[in-house]
Amino acid sequence: MSLPFFRSLPASVLILHSAAWLVPAEERKEWLAEWEAELWHVCRTGEPGLNGRPRSHSTGFCVGAFQDAFWLKWNHLRSARWRVLRRGAASRCTLLLAVWAAASLLLFLSLPAARNAALRSFHRNADGLFVISRSGYSGMQSPTIGLEEYLSWKTATRQLFSGIAFYQPLSKRVHILKHRSAELAIGRASDNLFQLLNRPLPADPPNGEHLARLFLTQAAWRQNFNADPALVGAIAEVAGQRVVIAGILSPDALRLPGHLDAWLLEDEEQLAKLPKRSSGFLLARMRRGKLRLDEWQHMTVYSEDGSRSNRFDCISLAEEERLPFSIFVFTLIVALIALPATTPLPLGEYPHHDGRLPWAVRARRWVFFCSKIVLFVPLVYFTSVDAAYGCQVQNANTVQYIQLGLSFFGFLFGFRWILQDQRKRCPVCLRVLSNPARVGEASRNFLAWNGTEWICTNGHGLLHIPELPTSWFGTQRWLDLDASWHPLFSDGCVPSAGVL
Amino acid sequence: MANEPKLSHTAAMILQTIHAGQVYGFSVMEATGLPSGTVYPAMRRLERDGLIVSKWEQQSIADAQQRPPRKYYKVTRAGIATLQVMQKRYPLLQKMISASEVKNA
Repeated sequence: MSLPFFRSLPASVLILHSAAWLVPAEERKEWLAEWEAELWHVCRTGEPGLNGRPRSHSTGFCVGAFQDAFWLKWNHLRSARWRVLRRGAASRCTLLLAVWAAASLLLFLSLPAARNAALRSFHRNADGLFVISRSGYSGMQSPTIGLEEYLSWKTATRQLFSGIAFYQPLSKRVHILKHRSAELAIGRASDNLFQLLNRPLPADPPNGEHLARLFLTQAAWRQNFNADPALVGAIAEVAGQRVVIAGILSPDALRLPGHLDAWLLEDEEQLAKLPKRSSGFLLARMRRGKLRLDEWQHMTVYSEDGSRSNRFDCISLAEEERLPFSIFVFTLIVALIALPATTPLPLGEYPHHDGRLPWAVRARRWVFFCSKIVLFVPLVYFTSVDAAYGCQVQNANTVQYIQLGLSFFGFLFGFRWILQDQRKRCPVCLRVLSNPARVGEASRNFLAWNGTEWICTNGHGLLHIPELPTSWFGTQRWLDLDASWHPLFSDGCVPSAGVL
Repeated sequence: MANEPKLSHTAAMILQTIHAGQVYGFSVMEATGLPSGTVYPAMRRLERDGLIVSKWEQQSIADAQQRPPRKYYKVTRAGIATLQVMQKRYPLLQKMISASEVKNA
């Protein structure tokens, strides 16, 4: 507005322009024009200010413009929020998927079992490290190897393994300073365990005694000893044996089979005093170049006279650690292979797209499709891992079967839903089509077509889905509606304001 | 009646004022004593509900008087019908803002 009058009221005009910036862009010009037109009359009827200009009325009017603008802004935001969340909207679908994915991720992060299982794939020292078991993966959950076997193999397998370590899980009460004690799951291990895992071993505490060393896990240290820092170096008693607490292990320091609170490292002499038939876990590090270091191997051990043989499984710790991710990849591939058996893959014919729609609108449809897939893949992964490791099943095989089943069926039915959902949406506004109507008769199939017609409630078009796919009407076909149809469609979702 | 429109007293007062002849936003403000932050949103709602219509006056008229063109409002048939219902509901409405008072103002 370039009238001389407005040049004499720069502050009022500035206030009105500032208020106009709060008004939604499509209505801004008209509101500003109306405010300025009314301001002219406000000033004419107002009393003159100190310098002869009408101030009081105009200021009140201009402040009122902000109230108008805030009202408009609020209404605009409310209707925009309603549009985003209304039933069938693409944004609502994406939002729900994102919320689900985020919830499953949060649950994953809050479940220690799930987190450890999935994240231990990044264990740095697992290559070449095997757990030797009598019974496959079951041997990862309960000890199967006798101490006698460990002692005999220790020297006999030097050509195959660069190191071999044994540990036996026990439940023992640890007494510290006589008045503090706790019942802990302790792994009584050979003293080369840390060396085998390439973990640096802290130096012996300078107490002059050569005692067995006890390492507490951080969780046990916090839970049972209130995270007392003075505990390191203290003398404790485990089943009548004096030991020294040599350190606290970080949560990811040792991720080995068995849920243990502490590790007691003992020299060979002490270990040899255990009953010969007591069972434990056996860890071995394969020499490089002998075999593949990341695959399941089998080991056959013959008796000294060669008359009988025992078969053992050498389970790669690296492979076992990668298992949740391996299951995820495997089920993803299998689900993709099985997908065509459950639903057709084509998304339909959309002949109206020949240059009539802006590329942004066309791209939005594919962005929506890809975003569903991108959100769905981690969603299935985290949900399956959460369910498998969060339900406190002790048997490792059962856990893996739960993850396998959930992951496979999750992917299969999820991808099926993604395709079906994409097919029943308007390619322009991406809203779910509605009002299905039967069209034609089966007897007219060879002359025309019969099937179901869906409609976009925003008036963008009709979707024809044939009842029987034919060579001339093989898949669903989109029919674009031109602008002459638009008056028939109105948005009934705007709330009626100003009405009680 | 189930379909009887329900307006707030303020909205009904603004509708009455426009019907009484105050066809500009500022004149409605003056006649009712309501601030601009109330009057304009209320008029927008009335317009959206089809009770009033708005129109910009011709540029030539505004240019002749060296002022910006104004937007004026007019009550529709639906608005008149609604107003009649509202006058029964708010009996003082007509007394508060009568056409004669508006003309004098």
